[in-house]
Amino acid sequence: MDLGTLLTSNLTDTLDVSLPHFRTELALSATIVLVLLCRMLPVLRWLDSGFVAMGGVAFALWYAWCDFRGLPGSPWATIAASQPGSVELFGGLLVFDSLTAYIRLLLCGFLVLYILFTKVSGIPDREDGADFYTLVLGSSLGMCLMASANHLLMLFMAVEMASVPSYVLAGLLKGRKASSEAALKYAVYGAGAAGVMLYGISLLAGVLGTCHLPSMAAELGRIVGEGADTGSIMVLALGGLMLAAGLAFKLSAVPFHFWCPDVFEGAAAEVGAFLSVASKAAAVALAIRVAFSLGWLGDATGVTATGLADVRHFSVYLIGLMAAVTCTLGNLAAYGQTNMKRLLAYSTIAHAGYLLMGVAAAVAMLGVDPEGCRAAVAALAFYLATYLFMNLGAFAIVAVLRNRLRSEEIASYAGLVHTNPGLVVAAVVVLVSLVGLPPFAGFVAKLQVFAALANAITKGIERPLMLVLLVVGGMNTVLSLFYYLRVLKVMTFDPPNDARVAAAAPVWLPGALVTAVVVPVVLLGIFWGGLLAVAQLAGTFAS
Amino acid sequence: MDLSTQLPQLLGLAWLMPLASFVLILFFGPKMGHHGRNAAWVATAAIVTSLVLSLVAFVSWLGAHPVSAGHHGGDHGAAHAEDHADAAGHVAGEHGSDAWHAAGGHAAAGHGPIAYSGDWYTLYEGGRLRLSIGWYIDSLTILMFVVVTFIATCIHVYASGYMHDELHDVTDHEVTLTDGHHLHRPGRFPRFFQALSLFCFSMLGIVIAGNLAMVFIFWELVGICSWFLIGFYYERKSASNAANKAFIVNRVGDFGMLIGLMALWGALGTLQFADSSVPGADGHAVTKPGLFSLVRPADHGHALRVPDGMVEFAAAEKVAHTPPAEVAGKVDAWRAEGFGRWLLFIAGVGIFCGCVGKSAQFPLFVWLPDAMEGPTPVSALVHSATMVAAGVYLVGRFFPVLTPDVLLVIAYVGAITLFIAATIALVANDIKRVLAYSTVSQLGYMMLALGVGGWAAGLFHLVTHAFFKSLLFLCSGSVIHACHTNDMRKMGGLARVMPYTAGTMLVGCLAIIGAGIPFVIGLSGYYSKDSILAQALSFAQANPRHTILFYAVAGGAALTAFYMFRLWFMTFAGEPRDHHVAEHAHESPQVMVMPLLVLAVLAVVAGWTLPGGFGIANLLEQSRPAGTVETAVGGFAFGQTLTIPAEHLSHGEPFHSTATWTAFATALGGVLLAAAMYVWRVISPAAVAAMFRPVYSFLANRWYFDELYHALFVVPAHGLAAVASGIDQGLIDPFINFLAWTTRQVAGIDAWIDRTFVDGLVNATANATWTLGNELKRLQTGSLRQYVTFIVVGTVALFVIASLFFRQALAG
Repeated sequence: MDLGTLLTSNLTDTLDVSLPHFRTELALSATIVLVLLCRMLPVLRWLDSGFVAMGGVAFALWYAWCDFRGLPGSPWATIAASQPGSVELFGGLLVFDSLTAYIRLLLCGFLVLYILFTKVSGIPDREDGADFYTLVLGSSLGMCLMASANHLLMLFMAVEMASVPSYVLAGLLKGRKASSEAALKYAVYGAGAAGVMLYGISLLAGVLGTCHLPSMAAELGRIVGEGADTGSIMVLALGGLMLAAGLAFKLSAVPFHFWCPDVFEGAAAEVGAFLSVASKAAAVALAIRVAFSLGWLGDATGVTATGLADVRHFSVYLIGLMAAVTCTLGNLAAYGQTNMKRLLAYSTIAHAGYLLMGVAAAVAMLGVDPEGCRAAVAALAFYLATYLFMNLGAFAIVAVLRNRLRSEEIASYAGLVHTNPGLVVAAVVVLVSLVGLPPFAGFVAKLQVFAALANAITKGIERPLMLVLLVVGGMNTVLSLFYYLRVLKVMTFDPPNDARVAAAAPVWLPGALVTAVVVPVVLLGIFWGGLLAVAQLAGTFAS
Repeated sequence: MDLSTQLPQLLGLAWLMPLASFVLILFFGPKMGHHGRNAAWVATAAIVTSLVLSLVAFVSWLGAHPVSAGHHGGDHGAAHAEDHADAAGHVAGEHGSDAWHAAGGHAAAGHGPIAYSGDWYTLYEGGRLRLSIGWYIDSLTILMFVVVTFIATCIHVYASGYMHDELHDVTDHEVTLTDGHHLHRPGRFPRFFQALSLFCFSMLGIVIAGNLAMVFIFWELVGICSWFLIGFYYERKSASNAANKAFIVNRVGDFGMLIGLMALWGALGTLQFADSSVPGADGHAVTKPGLFSLVRPADHGHALRVPDGMVEFAAAEKVAHTPPAEVAGKVDAWRAEGFGRWLLFIAGVGIFCGCVGKSAQFPLFVWLPDAMEGPTPVSALVHSATMVAAGVYLVGRFFPVLTPDVLLVIAYVGAITLFIAATIALVANDIKRVLAYSTVSQLGYMMLALGVGGWAAGLFHLVTHAFFKSLLFLCSGSVIHACHTNDMRKMGGLARVMPYTAGTMLVGCLAIIGAGIPFVIGLSGYYSKDSILAQALSFAQANPRHTILFYAVAGGAALTAFYMFRLWFMTFAGEPRDHHVAEHAHESPQVMVMPLLVLAVLAVVAGWTLPGGFGIANLLEQSRPAGTVETAVGGFAFGQTLTIPAEHLSHGEPFHSTATWTAFATALGGVLLAAAMYVWRVISPAAVAAMFRPVYSFLANRWYFDELYHALFVVPAHGLAAVASGIDQGLIDPFINFLAWTTRQVAGIDAWIDRTFVDGLVNATANATWTLGNELKRLQTGSLRQYVTFIVVGTVALFVIASLFFRQALAG
């Protein structure tokens, strides 16, 4: 193969295959450039960077939607979907499939709401706007790449691309000690986690000889299946664990969650919302991607297949164990919190646990029960979408109250029902939905994840672990009732705090924002068929 | 438009108008003008609309089915005389094989009545049960519609004047409160018209009903309306007691009616009067026979016989031992053996029981005189002209199903009622009570007429009585309105101050005693009473054992004449007995007098037959039930054969002239005696009363019926209640209390366990969780160095766990 042919084929691959599936990321990149230009060029300085960002994100959302609805089996396709279910882009660095498309769609949809939220809540101010939106968009770009990474190097790049802007975002409140401290902690902790992950990647690459996930899977299956020497297996296990540690950091799963409460408490509520929703969605997608890619090969036979089954068994237990511990610790540690953002940080950790349970169920059924596996992935996709509304709602309420009360302490919410009944109703909806009680969206989401676990149990797949996870999940739901309802109790039953003379200014815009976020929580709890169809389409890649 | 669609629409609308008025007044009554003054207009407008619609229906009917004279004239009767004799012999030879025969082998030629029926709405359908709101319209229905709406219209107009006291706050002098003051309450003008409208709706519902279930529904509705209206002055103890009495006594009759309904439905599976077409299993309409054609099948010449359903029901034991295919073939044999006769008898008597209650027949007549506690317009409409006539109407409607035995029961009940009530009326001094007992007595007449086979005679009297009795009541209301008392002993000489009232009441009295010039002309009562007498005579001749029925009718006529003219003379003739009353007396306002005049005219002419043959009697003949044209022979219950003579026979001689002369003589005698005692004063009433003191006090105390019932039913019921209450308080309550006490003790122990162990456990768990949470929180030191260390520690820990627990997997 001469250089010309290589170049031609590379060019064809890039222009004809890769770039058409990369329009969302391109749009985001272009928006970043545009926002920066607005800041630099005096001609464009009058433009509000928030609206510029919004315009760019709207394009990105449109492309993401076009990609999504063009998926095979999509009921929204304008023309008969001709593209294959899974396409490798840029020579195997990225992969495009229904999961990628769904996470992109979710991220872009979130960005639209998020930019609206920040415009209403007033952080960032106009001066910081360009920096802020650049960072948010850059981080989102990284998250999109996380969702589509098909190569360990790309994975590392994407994680760092998503993380580094987050460190800066955490320190957005310049001059506030807590904020700077949060940023520093986040950065150092992130660096540590990145180091561990990179070490794990190098171990894996060294043993398997490749960083391309499907190729790694083939090699891994062969090595494990043929029963290589214990040393190699140990190295592989250690490498896998280190890779998992990096992902767990993004997911804020125990025991790599330490950054989370401090960062959430120190950073602005807006940043917390971004980290808890977008970052979480991308991390879950990446976890699914890595576990699926390393644990399953469609055309694997013989020893490779048995080896991969062992790999899946290992990862299911790893993920399941992490899920159970994360969930329980997150919920228990939330008990004594006095700061609302910190409480929400632990809530985030706990929900990461619930999500990981779904991931464990999906991986367990991978290749064994394709139908159940798809349903499990669909449950996760559904969970992420409802979690978007619930957590955005929770942080929006925190932000609105912060602007009113100048406080984020739970105690300062005492007797809020007398002055802000509407906001308290919204809080009831959001928090009860986070507990997972009907008739709100959180119930439906949790129900589906638990249904996936129950499905695995009835099919006899990893039965003991799944049973343990189901019990732990159910008990944790009960545990979580306490601290969520404690907030509501303070808001409704406690006597109002006289020291706080609430500036009872009419809050139309924040009210509209909270309503816009909370209403879907109610509606999705009642009419969830539409979102479920979307989520099911997202799950089709796992075939 | 086709009559079969037009009539249900017209009458259905006429039926629903009062309901609309009721609903309007119910919701907006108090807002209708000052103190709801306009409620009267709403109710009157509704009933006038009903009247107009009924009249349109009446005219349409006449257009389609002209009434002709001599439909079943006397000449007809002669032609059948020999058939009758022939049939009697025929039956004698075959006695016991088939209980009832239509006399005459050619009865199949007799055609059925002209009637339209159908359903508006099916209430429920399941299994054999089909309940519907439907219609059965024949000339009787339309006649009743016209009569009810017409009288109701008069009474609405009259009441809008009579009830004007209710337009402002009322001080009720008959109610004394505990503090010695009289009751002062707001007026209830709209409430009165609201109840009146509901009553009209319910009454018309009975009349138009197409099945017995619907009859029963509206039967109970008129009952509750009656309860509302009798108890209109419910603060008065007497009024509320009277309302309850009426309601409870009617329940006794309704119990019998329910038994009748169950017997019919259980055995026959339908309560429809006429054949109805219902959707069959395959979706096509199927004709389902109604009660009339089941009991009088057309292929059996409309002669009465026990329906197959009842035979099979009664012979259930035999049916169970017979192969299903052979059952149909054996039914006739079983019928001949007498199966099902008692069932049919019970059904008839059961339905009649309801009529006994509603129409105040012996032994349930005690409620009606007390019901006069209601306002007088109510007495006129509900308790004389319409509701109490509903029982008679139902017997008339249900007539085809009644066996000769049932008819005999009815005749005797009617005879007893008419005699008892007439005797009590002789000595009553309350003007409304005289009229009330007169009503009971006249209802007895109607029942007797129906019982002796005088279908048309009984219903004819029902119509004429409705006119003259409502007239009489309205006149009495006018008198009471003027005198503020009911006691006739305080009246007298009122004719001078109240000429219109006196004149119209005289017309009413003449009508009720059947005054007329024999064989020439008379008031309405003359015709209807004569036909009852003639039929009773005809029956007495056919069944010599029951001649007493004729004497009851004749004697009753004399008594009627006496007590009615006693009433008139005491009230209007002579000199005022109480000057205080006489000074206040005045003629009633025009709005009250107008209805009197209108009703007086009708009381005169209602019985007339016009030269073309048009008249109520001939109109009724159009609806004569199939199979009752001819003389019927049968009966089993009392061990004898009964002959129900054909009614047209009574129009011929010798019955007609004998009856006319008897009626004339008895009425004249009664009037002369009354005049002798109260006008000419040749006989002193007091002396007569003293001479027959035991009889007098027996009558004055209303035969001690109230006391008898009190001793027979009320006292034992109270005793039983006391015993039950004693058991309840002495036995059941302590037991319950003991149970409660035990439960409490056990609960105490349980609570202790709960507090100590369960709560302790829960609290311990919660404390542990809380402590654990706080301990976990402590893990979060905030120290960055520690955090980063934890990354490594965490990874290593995971690796250790993995190598410990997943050794197998790791080893491959």
